[in-house]
Amino acid sequence: MAGSGKAHMRPDGDRVLTVEDLTVEFRLGKDKIVKAVSGVSFDLIRGETLAIVGESGCGKSTLGKAILQLPKPNSGTVNFLSTELTTLGKKELRDMRPAMQMIFQDPVSSLDPRLPVSEVLAEPLKVWKRGNQIEIDAKIDELLNAVNLDPAVVRDRRSYEFSGGQCQRISIARALALEPTMIICDEPVSALDVSVQAQILNLLQDMKDRYGLTLIFISHDLAVVKAVSTRVMVMYLGKVCEVAPPDELYKTTRHHYTRALLASVPIPDPDRPTSSQLIQGEPPSPLDPPSGCRFRTRCPAATEKCAAEEPQLREVAVGHFVACHHPNES
Amino acid sequence: MSDVQQTVEVLPKLSSTKKKKPVGFYLSATWIGTVVFLAVFGWLLPTRPWDSADYDALGVKPFSPNHPLGTTGDGYDMLSGLVNGAKISIFVALVGVIIGGSIGTFIGVTSAYYRGMYDRVVTMIFNVMLSIPNLVLSLALLSVLAYSDENNPTTTSRRVGVLMLSLTIVVVPILGRIGRASALQWAGREFVLASKSMGTSNASIIIRHILPNVAPAILAIGFLAVGSLIIVEGSLAVLGIGVPGGASWGSMLANGRGNIAYSPHEVYMPAMAIALTVISCNWFGDYVRRALDKRESKI
Repeated sequence: MAGSGKAHMRPDGDRVLTVEDLTVEFRLGKDKIVKAVSGVSFDLIRGETLAIVGESGCGKSTLGKAILQLPKPNSGTVNFLSTELTTLGKKELRDMRPAMQMIFQDPVSSLDPRLPVSEVLAEPLKVWKRGNQIEIDAKIDELLNAVNLDPAVVRDRRSYEFSGGQCQRISIARALALEPTMIICDEPVSALDVSVQAQILNLLQDMKDRYGLTLIFISHDLAVVKAVSTRVMVMYLGKVCEVAPPDELYKTTRHHYTRALLASVPIPDPDRPTSSQLIQGEPPSPLDPPSGCRFRTRCPAATEKCAAEEPQLREVAVGHFVACHHPNES
Repeated sequence: MSDVQQTVEVLPKLSSTKKKKPVGFYLSATWIGTVVFLAVFGWLLPTRPWDSADYDALGVKPFSPNHPLGTTGDGYDMLSGLVNGAKISIFVALVGVIIGGSIGTFIGVTSAYYRGMYDRVVTMIFNVMLSIPNLVLSLALLSVLAYSDENNPTTTSRRVGVLMLSLTIVVVPILGRIGRASALQWAGREFVLASKSMGTSNASIIIRHILPNVAPAILAIGFLAVGSLIIVEGSLAVLGIGVPGGASWGSMLANGRGNIAYSPHEVYMPAMAIALTVISCNWFGDYVRRALDKRESKI
């Protein structure tokens, strides 16, 4: 698994975002280059929620930030609303920013502790000169109401006076302020209690319906992903393994890595035998990734072919793509 | 999907949880207030002229009727000397910290924000400057910049100017490093990334988000720096290259040290003024830091 390829792209859809061969490298000293994301391609149809899953360090968050050009990717193309972002000048790129927003993992770190909520929400509106002070105030109240916070209580308080879930609501309100087309949610519920997670996920869903958003939902939690997404992309060491609608993916898992990932979801049953499908060991160093398929060092089905040849994404069922030489037959 | 209306329960306001301020805070604030008052309005007080001697009262002990803090062996009144000295001692240290601190903070914060080559060069220069002891650095700067010989003696105002310049240069790397370290931490926060992603310019991210968060650390260290600059000024005077003629506390100390055997108050008085001011600055700075830190530690 863990291959390249573009078989899963849908050129005839109403595409909001098209990412092709995106590569992000980090330089760690003289000859050490980490390819956090290497040759990832995918597209995003208006109104869908694409979930990007994978274990820590597989390049999910880096991919999300690279789409926003923070920082710019090393190679590849990012086409957003028919505009190529990677070659845009500073000013033109800035003009695109209101349409694409991001929500971050750490709810507390996402808000400036010095600023009251009204200032936090006013910042995007003032940067883009959306109306005078009265209009901005009205907009802030509208946003706070939308995320189920009482403006009268919340407006003048600062982030450290809120719980994580409340901070995340404010972050969502901030992301909505500029009426974006697409929001990238980088693990938006990972830092929250399970009961609060559900509230925030429901809120995101509501906002999506209400404002007609297209979402990229980055997560390592497969249960959460199943609840929100319309399409799931599994990543391993900076490469795409499998792309499928969530129901299909959970029912007929074709990729060995995805299967291991699903098997690692804890099930609250003490009598259940420990799964034998849990993968062993740590992911290999991204400084020196394995040849061919990047998962082969931990894959139960690996053969010589996997070392020699990188698998390409291919369609194994309608809408279900997998990059593996020896996929599971289910 | 339905969602429960959030009941907003918030932590109590800080004011209600504020602990009583320690006594040291009031003492140091009072002393700093007094010294600053004397430095600004001292010349209005009905003290004797500090620079003319009373030849009927040479080396008078403290607590005598005409000279509450005594006189020097040459007949100069100690009280008016101290009041007048506050002006230069405080002024020189404050100007050094305010100007040097502003420059240092600007350089430190921008280098932490932009990183790259600029940051590496700045860090290297700061490290080199910090490796030279404050006193040695200002001594070197002062002896080069305020060089004088018999033919062109340096005026007092020029000496004060050069003194302030060298103290400013001493402060730049101290507060610059603090500003850089603090800004590094804040620049990595996600709200900075959020601001970038909504198109806020770098300059306004630094002004609106980074500087206000860095300010508490700078303020606290700034008070400590005022204290150490007062000491540096005093030390330079004792070494004979500060402000001449007993016009500052350090200078009074330098003039008095020859008479320490028979009129020790000539040294004790200015030394105590310096010590109390420095201790107060440290205490006050410490208190400011703790008061401003509370907010962060609550998270």
